[in-house]
Amino acid sequence: MHGTFRRSHGLRALLLFAAAAAPFVAGPYWVHVGALAWYYALLAASWALLAGYAGQFSFAHVAFAALGGYSSALLTLRFGLPVALSIPLTVILAMVLGALMGALVLRLSGPYLALFTLAIAEIFRLMLVAEEDVTRGSLGLQVPGLFSGGSDVPYYYLGLGLVVLALLAMNGLLATRVGLFLRAIREDEHAAQASGVNTTLHKIVVFVTTAGLAALAGTYYGHFVGILSPNMVIIPEMGLVVAMAVIGGIESLPGAVVGAAIVYGLSEILREYGEWRFVLLGLALIVVQRFAQNGLFPMVERYLDGRVAPPGKSRVDIENVPKMEGEYVKPS
Amino acid sequence: MTYFSLLSINGLVIGLIYALMAAGLTLVFSVLKVVNFGHGSLYMLGGYASYYAIGLLGVPPVAGVIVAMVALFLFGVVFERLVLAPIYSDKVERKDEYAIIVTFGLTILLTNLGLVVFGPFSKSPPAFLHGTFIAGPLILPYDRLIAAVIAVIILSGLAWFLARTSLGQALDAVSQSRDSAAVIGINPKRMYTIAFGLGSALAGGAGALVAPIFALSPNMGELPGVQAFIIIVLGGMGSVGGSIIGGILLGIVQGLGVGFLPDPNRALAYTQAFGALLLIIVLLVRPTGLFGRAHMRLE
Repeated sequence: MHGTFRRSHGLRALLLFAAAAAPFVAGPYWVHVGALAWYYALLAASWALLAGYAGQFSFAHVAFAALGGYSSALLTLRFGLPVALSIPLTVILAMVLGALMGALVLRLSGPYLALFTLAIAEIFRLMLVAEEDVTRGSLGLQVPGLFSGGSDVPYYYLGLGLVVLALLAMNGLLATRVGLFLRAIREDEHAAQASGVNTTLHKIVVFVTTAGLAALAGTYYGHFVGILSPNMVIIPEMGLVVAMAVIGGIESLPGAVVGAAIVYGLSEILREYGEWRFVLLGLALIVVQRFAQNGLFPMVERYLDGRVAPPGKSRVDIENVPKMEGEYVKPS
Repeated sequence: MTYFSLLSINGLVIGLIYALMAAGLTLVFSVLKVVNFGHGSLYMLGGYASYYAIGLLGVPPVAGVIVAMVALFLFGVVFERLVLAPIYSDKVERKDEYAIIVTFGLTILLTNLGLVVFGPFSKSPPAFLHGTFIAGPLILPYDRLIAAVIAVIILSGLAWFLARTSLGQALDAVSQSRDSAAVIGINPKRMYTIAFGLGSALAGGAGALVAPIFALSPNMGELPGVQAFIIIVLGGMGSVGGSIIGGILLGIVQGLGVGFLPDPNRALAYTQAFGALLLIIVLLVRPTGLFGRAHMRLE
C-alpha cells in the first residue's frame, strides 16, 4: 500500500492547494468567510477524533472553544499578557480541564455521556451569561486582534495553518498504537480492557487532546472576530459542528474539515434563504446518517480509488438470518 | 405563605406538564434504548398542531390536545419507520451515536422548519376556559387548572395502559429483554414503533396543554427538552413512574426557587443551571436515578 499513488491523495493535495490559493481569487468577504470556516473546521476535526474515533459523543466541545476564547481574551485584557503567552496558557488550561472531564466521564457512555456533556455546556454558557462583571455577559467581550491592518488574509492563512497542523498532529497520533487503542475502545471498551488496553489513560488522552484543540480554535476565533458572546455555546452551534463532522465523515479527520468548509460555505452562499438553510442542514444530517454513515468525503475517496465496499459485508439482512445466540449484553 | 403556596401550585401544574413530556421520553428510552434528542421539537410541533386544529378546523380547545396527540403519534410512527428502524438491524454499527445524531438532526430540522412555516413571532391559541379558579388562598387561572387535570388524566391513562393492557405489558416485556419478548411471540419491531409513536404523542400533548398558558414559538421546546432530560435522569431512565414524580418535583423546586432567590437576573440564569447541575450529580453519583429499575442500569 505504501508508496503507491492513490487518487484520493491527489484529491487531498488538490483541496489543500485550492484552499491556499483561494485568497488570490476570492474577494475580502469570502476570505473572511473562509477564515471563519477554519474555526469550524478545527472544531469539527477535533470533535471527529473524539466522537468518531474514540466514540466519546460530547456536546461540550463548543464549551471548550468558548473557554479558549474567553480565557485568552481575559488573560490579555485583565492581566496584560501578550497573546504569545495567553494562547499557550489557555490551551494548557483547557487540556487540564479536559483531563478532569475525561476522568469524570470514564464510566459514562452513549446517551449518558451526551447528556452529561450537554449539561456541562449549559452550565458553562449560563455562567458566561450570569457573571457579567467578568465576561460582560450577553453584551459580548471585546478581544484584541492579532494582526494590524484591516485585512483578513493573515487570519485566513493562520487558520488554514492551524487546521493543517492539527490534522497532521491528530493523524500522527492515530498512526501510533494510540489510534488503534482508541478504535478498540470505541468498538468495545470491555474487550479492549480485557486485551490489555489502558482504557482509562487513552480516554483521558483523547479528551485532553481534543479539549486543547477546541480551545485553540476558540482563541483563534476570539482574536479574529474581535468579540465573544455566550452564544458560542448554544446548542445550535454544537449542532453545526456535529452536522459538519457527520456530513463530511465522522471517522475521517480531513472529511470533517471538508464537511465544515462545505457546510459553512453553503450556509453563506444560500444566505438569502434564511432559515431554510438550517432546515436543509437538519435534513442533510439525517439523510447522510441514514444512508452514508461514514460521511460523504470517505465515499468520494473510495470512489476515486476504485474501491467499493465488498458486497455482503455488514449488509446482512438480519431479519432473515436465524438468530443463534441470546441478546448480547456487555459485561458490566 | 400564600405567595409560596401559590408558587408551589403553579410549580405543580408546570411539573405535571413536564412529567407528561418526560414520561414520553422515558417510554422511548425504556423500549428502544434511545434518548430522543428531538423530544423538545415534538413538543413544539404538538403545540402548533393544536393551534392550527383550533384555528383552521375549528375544533374546541380541549379537543385540540387530542388532535395534537394523534398527529404526533402518526409523525412519530413515520419517523421511527423511516429513520430509526435501521438501528435494529446490523446495518448500523454504533446505535447510540446513530440515534443521537438523527434525533438531534430532527431538532435542527423541525425548529427551523417551524421558524419558516409558523414564523418567528409567538402565537397564542384560545384559552381552554376563561376566568380564574379561586378557593380560599388558592388562585389558579382555569387554563392551568384544566391543563393540570388533563395531564393527570393522560398520565393515569398511561399508567393504566402500561400495567393493565396486554399491549402495555408487551411494551414492558420488550423494554426488559427484546429477545425474550420475541420468544414468547411479541414482535419487538412493532413495539418499537408503537413506543416511539406514544412517546411523540405524549410530547405533543404536553405542547398542546402548554400552548394557551405560554405562547407558542418555534424554539419553545428547547428548555422543556432539557428539563425532560433532567427529569428522566433524576427519576431513573426508563421508569415512567419515576419520571412523573421527577417532573412534579422539578416543577415545584423551580417554582419555589424563583421566590427565594434575590438578584433576579443572576437568579434566572442559575435556576436553569441548577437543573443541569442536578443532572450531572445524579449521573455521577446514582446513574440509575431515584426510581431506576435494575435492568435499565448503566452498562
